[in-house]
Amino acid sequence: MAAVATCGTGAGSTGSVVAAGSKNHVTSFQRRGPRASGSDSSYSRLVSIAGTRPSVRNGQLLVSTGLPALDQLLGGGLAVGTVLLIEEDKYNIYSSLLFKYFLAEGIINGHTLLVASAKEDPADILQELPAPLLDDNFKKDFDEEACNHKTAESNIKMKIAWRYQLLPKMEAGPVSSSRFGHYYDASKKMPQELIEASKWHGFFFPEKSSSTLNIEPCSLTHGYIKLLQFIQNIIYEEGFDGSNPQKKQKNILRIGIQNLGSPLWGDDICCTENGNSHSLTKFLYVLRGLLRTSLSACMITMPTHLIQNKAIISRVTNLSDTVVGLESFIGSERETNPLYKDYHGLIHIRQIPRLNNLIYDVSDVKDLAFKLKRKLFTIEEEKEYTLNDLYKRLHLPPDLSDTVSRSSKQDLAEPSKLLGPGCGVMAGGKKHLDF
Amino acid sequence: VTPSEGARGGTGRQLEMESVLALRGLVLLRDSVEWEGRSLLKALIKKAALGGEQVHILGCEVSEEEFRAGFDSSVNSRLVYYDLFRDPLNWAQTGEALPGGPLGALQAMCERTDPGPVTVALDSLSWLLLRLPCAALCQALCAMSRRHACRGGSLAAEQLCVLGLLHRELHGPGPMGALSSLAQTEVTLSGTAGQASAHILCRRPRQRPTLETLWFSVLPDLSLDLQGGPPLESQPHPDPHTPQVDPASHLTFNLHLSKREREAKDSLTLPFQFSSEKQQALLRPGPGPATSRIFYEPDTFDDLDPEDPDGDLDV
Repeated sequence: MAAVATCGTGAGSTGSVVAAGSKNHVTSFQRRGPRASGSDSSYSRLVSIAGTRPSVRNGQLLVSTGLPALDQLLGGGLAVGTVLLIEEDKYNIYSSLLFKYFLAEGIINGHTLLVASAKEDPADILQELPAPLLDDNFKKDFDEEACNHKTAESNIKMKIAWRYQLLPKMEAGPVSSSRFGHYYDASKKMPQELIEASKWHGFFFPEKSSSTLNIEPCSLTHGYIKLLQFIQNIIYEEGFDGSNPQKKQKNILRIGIQNLGSPLWGDDICCTENGNSHSLTKFLYVLRGLLRTSLSACMITMPTHLIQNKAIISRVTNLSDTVVGLESFIGSERETNPLYKDYHGLIHIRQIPRLNNLIYDVSDVKDLAFKLKRKLFTIEEEKEYTLNDLYKRLHLPPDLSDTVSRSSKQDLAEPSKLLGPGCGVMAGGKKHLDF
Repeated sequence: VTPSEGARGGTGRQLEMESVLALRGLVLLRDSVEWEGRSLLKALIKKAALGGEQVHILGCEVSEEEFRAGFDSSVNSRLVYYDLFRDPLNWAQTGEALPGGPLGALQAMCERTDPGPVTVALDSLSWLLLRLPCAALCQALCAMSRRHACRGGSLAAEQLCVLGLLHRELHGPGPMGALSSLAQTEVTLSGTAGQASAHILCRRPRQRPTLETLWFSVLPDLSLDLQGGPPLESQPHPDPHTPQVDPASHLTFNLHLSKREREAKDSLTLPFQFSSEKQQALLRPGPGPATSRIFYEPDTFDDLDPEDPDGDLDV
């Protein structure tokens, strides 16, 4: 990883990590996870950064996005030095929640935060962060839920599907005592002392902008220039790019930028089609350069549903590393659709980066839906009508013809039915049943 | 989104409507050619003035006399009017115009408000949107509420209400979408058969947006008359629920079993269930031939070796 290689001072250790990484071939075998930090000397320098872990697939250094389900979908987490772009949902409810989870994870892990917004004061954003869930409390709640689920399942008479009982059940709950990825309670706020103990920098654009300068077209909007300068200053002064040799303890800088591209940043791509269409793309390009040469990870939320020129969206997608789109059902006709009544919206994984890799780390499951329960934000595979389900639920004999499953999928856009967690991998796509 | 139901009548409904009309933050009144919104704007201004709030008006589209017509003297004395209609570009150089053009006027209005409940009416936001860059207007609108909040303290953000009259047909989806994303409340005016209706979309922070529909009419003295529901003569009868999508309607396989089929299914013994009948059947020698026989007619291409019928010996 470029960030690892150029991150100056510990040249010996980083070199050995790169060498270890290059031993990986493009296979489906996964690396054994690293042993506890400290015992393996080649990892000790980097794994000792709190809240990070190397990816099991290619040794990339990862940080958690704050939502373990999203981490799993992105192949373990967000790679250090990359940009995660969240395409906002229409009323900006769920994307701002993901943004807060990202920042909250940074506070819990002791990372430095940089919060940039043009709408809300960063101090106010930090006051609204969700509280972390302690392991034992959550385990109790989850076990209760799991028990209810199990009693319901046992009532169903599974006459034919004896094979399904042999498949292992996927663990969907929180892994206790995990230092990577925490669960948060969206109904409670983060305790004040944790926020005050954390180190954060805020960029509130209306305060920083002095005057409305006349910018010529095809150059960066005033707001973006200021933001880039701010980020660059923080990275340099705090030594995230390895430029400050006195720094002994390495740390990650988490950058969160809210509502990038909205008119409040001075950018008019949401207002007109022929606006300053290159400002945002230039910003992302320069930002990527800054991130690749520092120990930082960035999450940006962008109201892409407002952008008038669709070509800009595809350029923005290409310039970001990981792109996740949120689509909420509020106000759309899907809200009353009984197929979607369990969920609050859909998650689209639009792009996953190939970092030092020839293959994508993408999961098999394409249709994902999310729901915001009282405390938790959960992402689940969107339950499909495949013949597996019908076989299980309705005790009908399976029909192995391919055309039947395909046409049923076309007729109903995204139908839902309960699918056991054990069958998740098998029935995720249009695959044949295996008997 | 919770669509409102039909007439419920009584004071309960009245109170509910009053709470819906407790508008704060940026409120967009989106009207159209058929259903004009200026009378609703004036009705809301009158309500605010009689409620003791300060009312500042930026008049751009109609003259001051025309705007003030219809208000009685008590309301008129409480209105602070900034006139951009008569001389928007300040050609007369009288010195009483606000500096900085329309944008400067917005900023000046904000500075002249005292802490406390304030209603700012922009007549109209469309006029401003056509003359100012959209991004600058959005920033100015956000700055207004923020500056008011700065001065007033923690509750002050709730006390500023900016009513903006927006003509739907004048703008494309871009500016409308941008302003909608900033607005806390959007009131869309429409109606049927002479009865005006307002679809009010409220976005509270961190909560799901709610949609309410009010049927109203503005009386000549500019008070709001809220009706329970649509007039009885016109019955387009908006269906509150979209027809339920039946997932099992267009499948190529049959999901529903008839009674006979269900009985047949329940009485079926499955191949892997080792029931007692099967056990008996296996233990009992059957009434038919004891061994099963295969009848085979070899054809011309067969080369059967009687010593090696399966043909798998390597000879």
